[in-house]
Amino acid sequence: MAVRTVLEWLNSCSGCEIAILNIGEALVPLLTRHLELVHAPILMDHKYLGQRGDGTEFNIPEAEVGLVSGGVATVEHLQVLLQMREKCRILIALGTCATHGGIPALMNGQDRKEGWEGVFQTRTTDPGCSVPDVEVPAPLDRVYACDEKVEIDLFLPGCPPNPALIAEVLMAVVEDRDPVLPHKSVCDTCPVIREGKGAVSVVRRFLVNAEFLAEDPIDRMRCLLEQGFMCMGPVTAAGCAGGGLPRCIAARVPCRGCFGPVRRDGNQMLDMMNALASNGSDFKSVVDRRSLLRFSGAHGGLRPLRRKSAAERG
Amino acid sequence: MGFEPKIIAFCCNWCSYAAADLAGTARMQYPHNVRIIRVMCSGMVHPELVLDALSHGADGVIVLGCHLGECHYQDGNRKALARSEVITELLEDFGYETERYEISWLSSSEPDRLVKAFTGITERVRKMGPVNARDLAG
Amino acid sequence: MGTVINIAPITRIEGHAKIAIHLDDQGNVRDTFLHIQSLRGFEKFVEGRPAEEIPRIVTRICGICPWMHHLAANKAVDAAFGVTPPPAGHLLREICQLFAHITDKILHFFFLAAPDFILGPDADYSVRNVMGIVKAEPELAARVVKMRQLGQMMLERLAGKAIHPVAGVVGGFSRPMLEAERQELLRDAETLLDFSCYALDFAKDTVFTRYKDVISELGAITTGFLGTVDRDDGSLRLYDGRQRLMKADSSCIDFEGDRYADHIGEHVEPWSYGKMPYAKSWQEGFSLDPAAPAGIYRSNTLARINVCEKISTPKAQAELEEFRGVFGRPAQQTLLYHYTRLIELIYVCERAVELLQREDVTDTRIRAAAEPRAGRGVGIVEAPRGTLIHDYTTDSNGCITKANLIVGTTHNIGPMNMSVRRAATSLIKGGVYDAGLLNKVEMAVRAYDP
Repeated sequence: MAVRTVLEWLNSCSGCEIAILNIGEALVPLLTRHLELVHAPILMDHKYLGQRGDGTEFNIPEAEVGLVSGGVATVEHLQVLLQMREKCRILIALGTCATHGGIPALMNGQDRKEGWEGVFQTRTTDPGCSVPDVEVPAPLDRVYACDEKVEIDLFLPGCPPNPALIAEVLMAVVEDRDPVLPHKSVCDTCPVIREGKGAVSVVRRFLVNAEFLAEDPIDRMRCLLEQGFMCMGPVTAAGCAGGGLPRCIAARVPCRGCFGPVRRDGNQMLDMMNALASNGSDFKSVVDRRSLLRFSGAHGGLRPLRRKSAAERG
Repeated sequence: MGFEPKIIAFCCNWCSYAAADLAGTARMQYPHNVRIIRVMCSGMVHPELVLDALSHGADGVIVLGCHLGECHYQDGNRKALARSEVITELLEDFGYETERYEISWLSSSEPDRLVKAFTGITERVRKMGPVNARDLAG
Repeated sequence: MGTVINIAPITRIEGHAKIAIHLDDQGNVRDTFLHIQSLRGFEKFVEGRPAEEIPRIVTRICGICPWMHHLAANKAVDAAFGVTPPPAGHLLREICQLFAHITDKILHFFFLAAPDFILGPDADYSVRNVMGIVKAEPELAARVVKMRQLGQMMLERLAGKAIHPVAGVVGGFSRPMLEAERQELLRDAETLLDFSCYALDFAKDTVFTRYKDVISELGAITTGFLGTVDRDDGSLRLYDGRQRLMKADSSCIDFEGDRYADHIGEHVEPWSYGKMPYAKSWQEGFSLDPAAPAGIYRSNTLARINVCEKISTPKAQAELEEFRGVFGRPAQQTLLYHYTRLIELIYVCERAVELLQREDVTDTRIRAAAEPRAGRGVGIVEAPRGTLIHDYTTDSNGCITKANLIVGTTHNIGPMNMSVRRAATSLIKGGVYDAGLLNKVEMAVRAYDP
């Protein structure tokens, strides 16, 4: 029997949903045989307030499994998430926004009021524009990961999550078993040549390409961190690899941590700084280290910079 | 009622924890604001522990280790010192004032230094007000 | 006080929006609103970040077209840092953009829009979707899924990461294309070209003829258009060119991308988080009144097809001529977005084949070294949903101090509001309506592929 499934997206970009579509050959049987979608705004037309739009009660149908992408940033996201928790037996946080806040949680590092006003007062906006507040969902005080608001049964991070792992999780639900998911760091899945510690004194920005020979496979390239580039592989959860290669490394580009911390409650910036310091690298050479939390700024990770008091400024 | 800060002190088993014990038997007074967590070495205090403490409502954190060169594990306190630089550097990034954190060295026979360190951080943090006071205000 | 009909959420679109239709006491439409619900703050939180990191951050504006944001940001940062990518760097970027356009158009037409046409606008909501197409037309569905997947895998092979890409870098591209890869990608691009021709034929048979009346009426409005054209011959361009703003009377102003702020302003309504760009340089103000719009132009495929003089590839050019023969220039009917989307699908496939036939795409000089500096750069590409503008200012350390983004979809927020008004007003009379009818109102939005 097909498993009743709900898909929802909150403060998200729809990359997670595209990752679902990228499952490939298994997609058609999955969507038509194994799962029965009962609510999924990107793919089907079930409405919150009835198909005639005249209902008064917000409604998402009951389901065995719910997949929710995106963090929680507005009162409407919260309403949808609470409703999903109520209606879904198994609630899966899909993608790094849902598990750790993701890129939009970079907003947590900004002054909220100033930030929203700034968005509506740019080079091109009409003079005197203010933040819309009629019939649009009010923003919360910050961007939250889903597990800060409701209990989550399964976490599947990634920006986007790996289609193979999405398929694994969904099939595990269908077959009523535990999913097999990776639990190590990106470096554990990375085949590049590592020669050892202490090689790097200063961390470089990615302004020139890595050193490699075009025709050489990845396992003949020197580790990008050891080449001196900031690469967050050591402090990032594994899972992105397709065809045996972490995806950014396959493009010869260093990792920026899109699967979130290795331990779910880890702190990628702190861990990276700690790793650099204990390696003898000058951690102060990292430009804008706060952006190392660009994928995991929920859970209080990113906060507005403290304004110095008059006394401190001298 | 005045603000009473909560201070978490990570005390090394071999020096500061023993010093705190000694301060007790000697009836020396130190502020009741301090909650001691015993660790085997100051070198095991990962930066995450300090941030965790602050994010869970501690108003100040102090790490106390053996005098440099006197570590029971050879260089644990040197690690603590290196980590301490990271902590001091990063606190502002996480929205905390650097003055909420301190590292200090003493031996098991120096309860007076311990009392002075505890009193010092308590009074400093008391003047600063509660952690994340700005969040609460608005 | 009359009733309000809520279409919430608008479905089978990329994004968060709802429609509110306000009826008067007689049950006729008094007012309609398309409320854009999402507010994320990209322009603000990129401030302080090193500029070379921006192309890997702004991708998250849209998971369906991350490549467009990636490339527009790369072009803007190139300009801010004053670095010129080598020819192969530009070629590799453009090839990725073309692949991304291909999968995007297949996704939109077949997965999101086609259920309304293949299964009918009034079909029950539980079957009026891609799963319904799989059941009704299994062979077509299998082919569509395979072709979209092929496009995504081509991107992955060339650039490592297809969704939220990283291979575009300030100064060029991060890895060269190998000769063996070129040959394989060329074969695959030819396969997609075959499919694109089939897709347009299929749509002409089953959609555009069968739904002629719907197409000519539903959500029809009269506006201007914005697109990108070749600097020399005015042909359709997506990666680079000159901006062209066309009025409804078909008169045009061309301008270079970095002058965009002279021509485009953004209006803000209190009931939508989506800013509404309008043609400031027309000096007629801003009005969403469908009978007398002011400053309103549209973007996306219909706009690009309208503003270009011609298309540089033969098959797409033949289709353009046939299209113009029937619908004129500029064509205004909203549902023709679907038609022009499929013409453009043929163009991007042909263009991909053309570029992959060039031997210089495998040149290993793909990136020029960049130095951080204070500057300002505007980067523009044509995203599937319209002209995408990224504008960054940097400090001497190469970190962002100011950002302004005008995202493809937002050009169409005003027009979508007008189309919704038109569709709802003509369909809902005396309080009589049903679910199928509300879906038709949504179809007027879906055409814009927001």
